Amino acid sequence: MKAVISALLAELRGIFSDRQVRLIILAALVIYALVYPFPYRAELLRDVPVVLVDLDRTTSSAELARRIDASEAVALAHDAQDMVQATRLVHERRAYGVLLIPAGFERALLRGQQSPVALYADASYFLMYQRVMQGAAVPLRQLGAEIEMGRLIASGASADVALAQVSPAAQVEVPLFNPAAGYATYVLPAAFILILQQTMMMGLALVATRRRAGNGHPVWRVLGRMGAWVALYALLLPLYLIVLPALYGLPNLATTGAVLMLGLPFVLATGLLAQCVAALFRKAEVVQIVLLALGLPFFFLSGFAWPVEAIPAHLNTVAQLVPSTPAIDGLVRMTQMGATPQQVAHAFWHLWGLVGVFGLFALWLEISGRQSRSPDTDAAR
Amino acid sequence: MFAVILREFRLLLRSPALAGLVVLLPLLMIALLGGIFRAGIPTGMAVAVVDLDRSHLSRSVTRMLDAAPELQVTHHALSLSEARGLIVSGDVRGAIYLPQGLERNVTRGERPEIVTFYDNQHMSAGSLVARGARNAIDTALAGLRLSIRQGQGEATVQALVSIQPIALQSHALFNPAFDYVHFLLAALVPTILQIIAAAGTAYAVSLDFGPGRHPQVLARMAGGVLPAMLGKILPYTCVFVLILGVSDIVLYGLLAVPLRGSLPMMAMGAVMFVLAAQLIGALAFVLTRDMGRAASIIAVITAPAFGFMGLGFPRDAMAPLAQAWGAVIPGTWYVELRIDQSLRATPTDLSVTPLLWLGCIAGVLAALLFVQLLRLQRRIKAAS
Repeated sequence: MKAVISALLAELRGIFSDRQVRLIILAALVIYALVYPFPYRAELLRDVPVVLVDLDRTTSSAELARRIDASEAVALAHDAQDMVQATRLVHERRAYGVLLIPAGFERALLRGQQSPVALYADASYFLMYQRVMQGAAVPLRQLGAEIEMGRLIASGASADVALAQVSPAAQVEVPLFNPAAGYATYVLPAAFILILQQTMMMGLALVATRRRAGNGHPVWRVLGRMGAWVALYALLLPLYLIVLPALYGLPNLATTGAVLMLGLPFVLATGLLAQCVAALFRKAEVVQIVLLALGLPFFFLSGFAWPVEAIPAHLNTVAQLVPSTPAIDGLVRMTQMGATPQQVAHAFWHLWGLVGVFGLFALWLEISGRQSRSPDTDAAR
Repeated sequence: MFAVILREFRLLLRSPALAGLVVLLPLLMIALLGGIFRAGIPTGMAVAVVDLDRSHLSRSVTRMLDAAPELQVTHHALSLSEARGLIVSGDVRGAIYLPQGLERNVTRGERPEIVTFYDNQHMSAGSLVARGARNAIDTALAGLRLSIRQGQGEATVQALVSIQPIALQSHALFNPAFDYVHFLLAALVPTILQIIAAAGTAYAVSLDFGPGRHPQVLARMAGGVLPAMLGKILPYTCVFVLILGVSDIVLYGLLAVPLRGSLPMMAMGAVMFVLAAQLIGALAFVLTRDMGRAASIIAVITAPAFGFMGLGFPRDAMAPLAQAWGAVIPGTWYVELRIDQSLRATPTDLSVTPLLWLGCIAGVLAALLFVQLLRLQRRIKAAS
């Protein structure tokens, strides 16, 4: 027990006496928490600018344009004479779509023929494309339905029969968990978990590269360090995963207890992985740069932003070794989607499994003494 | 200066840590990212169907759903709460609710509701489910409307026109295959390279300018602190531009990402971008004279850079301050140039702006570094 406590204290000393580690673990919290969410504060896209090319210039085309302009998603911000002019505006990023109403639009409608309208939406930005399609497709469909109904009623059908024929069933779409489709609500809960993991790994790996040989049995030493991480992150983890999201106005549907229950194996697995990383790369500078470069790949590997269905199987297997993969899945499901701990039990056991695997590695490293180099060898390099 | 450059290349060959950081690490990261996105557009999102009608119509809707490339009907739930549980636990990405009496109410003209629930927390997967379900249900309903009209004796061709008076022809500009992989990779590769170029350069500089090292030796060798620093930086400029080139050959060659623009402009942008990223690293180190603190500065600037590039959430919609922060990061402009000159086929005159920005950023960074080096030179002179 004494060995455990002395290892715990030594680890805490290692964390707090090293300015660089302090900088990473504590200052990074402030900076990342402010800088990362910065681009997403606006949350929603409204009135995405679209160019109108009206070659028909009739009452019907003006009515169509008016309806599309009235939608929340898009605004017909520019008028252009032809497609050349309109495309130029899109290239300049002053507009993200072109609505082309061809000549003869009204005439075709009046003659009961099909009247085509073309919509060119800038697909280089996924969100813009979605909004432009949404903003134009819904009013277009409505106008089409009204015209079809008008024709049916003119040919003698009653209004409700006409409606049922135009649209036999109503199609309703219900977005769950992020009903407003806010971008911050989407990306931040996962990003905070990843930032927590990366800064923690960087800091603890630095401590590991600079650690002197300890005394006492290796098992007690590793256990003592794990105790130190838990003590430190008992404060930091709720800050990242409960306080910060609350400051950004994100929903939290999970109890603090449930978050901590998943947080414990997450912190332990990350800390133990940091020991392995430190032993692999040995130099503090190298560890830091490697972890810096790995942040984005880890994020996309976690299967959150990029659906896991689209990640090749062998890479997905590798991804399961990174604590953030199950942690993001489990925590986001609990805090944002209201999953019960039972519903994310797989993430819980997955994380404890990683603790076991990395724990054995860390223990083996400790026993074989690969980490306990004296600081002189470092200076000699 | 050339002596320093040659020495640097020899150092690169001898030091596994350095070579690993500036050559192996970026190549591995680029390969990893390429691997993640290689499969292209995600398909086959698992969905559950809550079919309370069990009629001919509901079965045909289910078939349509399963046939949609975006979807795969993996579960049949008996109730909405069961479906919700499946979504929350991650077994499916969405659920389609077909109410009891669907077919009967359709024939009676009572317009029953078909509801699609989708997981919008995982927005990319959720929006795919919504789109797939919308199209599948539309197709099923259009078939129904067509058969009603045909039943009333209307000719098929006429009926097809009648059910859709205004035909919307939608075109996805610059991305007809609707494949975001090209865009993601075009932005992710420079993002990673920006991190590594800045950090790697800082590390290389630290090996000679760090505490306990002797920059004066290098300065004497090169004939001044400034050429010494140039000699430290330029070899890595070659390395990183080469890596960018190799990844581009893979991207535009093997992965067949379209290249519809001016290659010279892209090359010019690449060199300026690499230089600017390196200058961030060199300046961070010269200012702090400590690799740890330099790495923290580099991390703050380059690690969150992806978000500011506006690929996910567009730059135009960001707060002005966020736009401004994005504007001083070289990657933002290089990615814009890259996307414009490869995927969007932007007229070249419009791509002058990002090139000018890159030049300005590199210029300012170089000037700052120059000032710091002059100070260092004075210190070295005073010491000797």
